[in-house]
Amino acid sequence: MEKLKVLHVDFAGCEGCNVSIIRAYPKLMDQIDLDISYLQDGSCKYSEYDIALITGGACMNEPRVVNELKEIRERAKIVVAFGSCAALGGILRFCRGGQAPRPDHRNFQPVNSVIHVDYSIPGCPPTPQMLQSFFKFFIAGNEARLRLFKVTAGLKKLSGFDLVDDIVLTGLCIGCGACELSCPTGAIKLVEKRPTLIQERCIRCGTCYIRCPRASQLMCLGGEKP
Amino acid sequence: MMPISENLLGQIRSVYLGRATDQEILKRKVASGGAVTAMLTYALEKDLIDGVVTAKRTKGLEGEAIVARTKEELIEAAGNKWSIVPFAARIKTKIEEEGLKRVGVVCLPCQAQFFGQMRDFPILETDFGNRIKYIVSLFCMGTFAFEAFLNYLRVKYGVRAEEIEDIKLSGDFLEIHRETGVLAIPLKEAFSYLQTGCLVCSDYTGVWSDVSAGFVESEPGWTVLITRDQHGEELVRGAEKEGYLELRDGSHVLGEILKKAREKVARAQRNMAQLF
Repeated sequence: MEKLKVLHVDFAGCEGCNVSIIRAYPKLMDQIDLDISYLQDGSCKYSEYDIALITGGACMNEPRVVNELKEIRERAKIVVAFGSCAALGGILRFCRGGQAPRPDHRNFQPVNSVIHVDYSIPGCPPTPQMLQSFFKFFIAGNEARLRLFKVTAGLKKLSGFDLVDDIVLTGLCIGCGACELSCPTGAIKLVEKRPTLIQERCIRCGTCYIRCPRASQLMCLGGEKP
Repeated sequence: MMPISENLLGQIRSVYLGRATDQEILKRKVASGGAVTAMLTYALEKDLIDGVVTAKRTKGLEGEAIVARTKEELIEAAGNKWSIVPFAARIKTKIEEEGLKRVGVVCLPCQAQFFGQMRDFPILETDFGNRIKYIVSLFCMGTFAFEAFLNYLRVKYGVRAEEIEDIKLSGDFLEIHRETGVLAIPLKEAFSYLQTGCLVCSDYTGVWSDVSAGFVESEPGWTVLITRDQHGEELVRGAEKEGYLELRDGSHVLGEILKKAREKVARAQRNMAQLF
């Protein structure tokens, strides 16, 4: 089989997702041809790609970003937002501007605020194994397994707040503890068999939400957030 | 193979009816044919896994997550559970404390979904999906909000929590076993004390499992086993080959399971319309 042509472009982020992609690459080399020439000079090796992996959020105060995203969309058949910043805004949601080295950067959005995204993979950062799994199911054409990420691609925010609002306060929580285990910052604690959110710790990564069996089941079933 | 979202029962490879060959397992009050206990005993004794993480009823309706490493410990934990055991966080501690590398998990569909998703999509560095070798999901119509359920038993029937020795499902009734006798409660009545989350759940068999297990009324004394893929198939067939499990074809009960699954989805849809 011919290798998938994959373009990786990073916008604003902490490099965690990029490291994850690099770590995943040795095991993906036989299946994908990864172009990371943006690191060098911002150019692309090919004119068309099967998949574009986008990491980092889109800075709305930077016209260049918006144009580049639109260009990537035209060149790639499938766009994957990898990591919480690209997928859901993540911790970049906290940006208010006035910070060095770019005080003019004051608003960041997930990639799907600018262009259509096919799959969103939250995680801060998602592990290399996650990317390997994604390609495994993608190449196998297993849409059912990837449905959760397809549905997530239609969402602009997911966080512990949404989990509490949609699942806990509606009484749908069954107290399994999956969210507590999934939170990378320890923002969720099970109190009296129900999750409680330590608000200031939630980095809006969305991991708890897509790991909640109830929430992910409802999302996959209804095709949108409940 | 059928894709998950298009089928109420998920991806199905084969359907079997299984029964433990071990008399000791059968003698215990296992839920049906004891096939799950037999299968996992096989996996433990043939060194396919280091331990089985599952829930054990401790008293009344409450339970706790335990690690079973021998047949005896498995038998101890066998039988119906009536409330959910907050597994996820505790299972991680258990796996790490006891240094388990290959684990079998026996759980409910929602938990199977969590473990299955974690195994297929390890988003976090702290995930332990690679340590989970087998996910066995039990058929599930919902778990009780047990404070509410116990309160109802006390108010309506005068049953105190500490009196309850066992709860069994028998046709359309829930049998509450006490020292003083057996009280049969219509299921319909008891169902209103299920957790709200369970009332919107659409998964009856556990579509994210390797093997789903449960019982159907038309085949008492047998456990229905649904294998999802080659991996689950090997567990079931291996247990049969080594003489732990007696197997026969179960495709004739698929309709019965489908009916239950439809009921659960219909209930979920009805309740969702009210909630959202």
